Amino acid sequence: MIARIRAWALGVGQAAADWMEVRTGVVSMLEHFLYEPVPKRGMWLYTLGSATLFLIVLQFLTGILLLFYYVPTTDEAWNSIYYIMTEAYFGLLIRGIHFWSANVLIVVVGLHMLRTFFSGAYKAPRELNWVVGVVLILLVTVLAFTGYALRWDAEGFWAWEVGIKIGSYTPFVGSYVATFLLGGDTVGPATLSRVFAIHVWLLPALLAPLIGIHLYLLRKHGEFGSEFEYTKRLAELRERKQIEEYALYEEGDESPRE
Amino acid sequence: MEVRQGPVKPVEEGEIITDENVYDRPDETMGFFPSQIVADLVVSAILLAIVVALSYLVPAPLTEPMDLSTDTYVPRPEWFFMFYDQMLMFFPGFAFIPFGGIVIPTLVVIVFFAVPWLDNEPGHSSVKRPFMGVIAFLVILTVIINMLLAIIRILNFPGGSP
Repeated sequence: MIARIRAWALGVGQAAADWMEVRTGVVSMLEHFLYEPVPKRGMWLYTLGSATLFLIVLQFLTGILLLFYYVPTTDEAWNSIYYIMTEAYFGLLIRGIHFWSANVLIVVVGLHMLRTFFSGAYKAPRELNWVVGVVLILLVTVLAFTGYALRWDAEGFWAWEVGIKIGSYTPFVGSYVATFLLGGDTVGPATLSRVFAIHVWLLPALLAPLIGIHLYLLRKHGEFGSEFEYTKRLAELRERKQIEEYALYEEGDESPRE
Repeated sequence: MEVRQGPVKPVEEGEIITDENVYDRPDETMGFFPSQIVADLVVSAILLAIVVALSYLVPAPLTEPMDLSTDTYVPRPEWFFMFYDQMLMFFPGFAFIPFGGIVIPTLVVIVFFAVPWLDNEPGHSSVKRPFMGVIAFLVILTVIINMLLAIIRILNFPGGSP
């Protein structure tokens, strides 16, 4: 009886998969993504990249939930956050996850960059993926900076004000950028609207496609963990070179090279 | 099920390893699914647990509402901007702020972008790339020292804690 149910379920599953495959190609696409061989020894080091992606997704999800209550006006911004933390269902948790995952994201993204650097994983043909990664780190930093201001509390606001002031010292364009971000000469309702638009719309819209490009280039060139993934092959290469050199030496054609 | 061979090149019979093909495939490989995905899920679950625990144990900060009429408030940077904030202390005055706050960070960012082209040392191991290794070590050391100096300075703020 159980065997018959299992066979029937397998048959239905297979038929469903075939039906989807013919119409969307989703099964072969999943095979393409899931069954690719990847290096084995550095398995845990590679999780830094996926952890970064996970935390960014968490930022998107909790950010969307916060948007249900957050009001981006100078009069209501602080009150709405206070409401989220004290009255809204799971508000404390959702805002906490948004805040702490942003902090953890900075740590993880930094570790991910260090891992890439020290393993030399940016070398040809992976240079462009490094460049995209640096852009992503800059975007994450600006996201953190603008998020700080959205609280519209004393700490976040004045820190943001200091940041804008420093930015206004940029040669040639500083004053224009500061005026644009402030929405005028001084802080006002337009300031918060612009910070909100940058944090919620502009930066995520830039971040998402760049993450896509980062992942595409990763799949195109493959993961490069570290040289220890190639220990045996490098040893074989050294051994072969030594044998060739000694052979040349014995023939007396030339002395061994250093 | 047929396993797709991706960027990791397949084993060739009687392959001779040369400088050109040594990095074509690692010594050992595994399927992305399930091994790597399981590792990714484990790390993500641990991070989620940490973040959820912190959300309740140390709620996200919210200080008093912003008051434009005050001009005595001393803001503290988030921990990840502390090294940058501290760097500004080394360039006091209006003449030097653009240099410490804009020019140097911009140069650092440009160097970050150019790393793949600046690194001409052979091999991938950091042992075989002493120049880049030393530079990276100095950058990390500068960031850590600046952060520590910033924490000490912030602790000395009136009623300050980092």
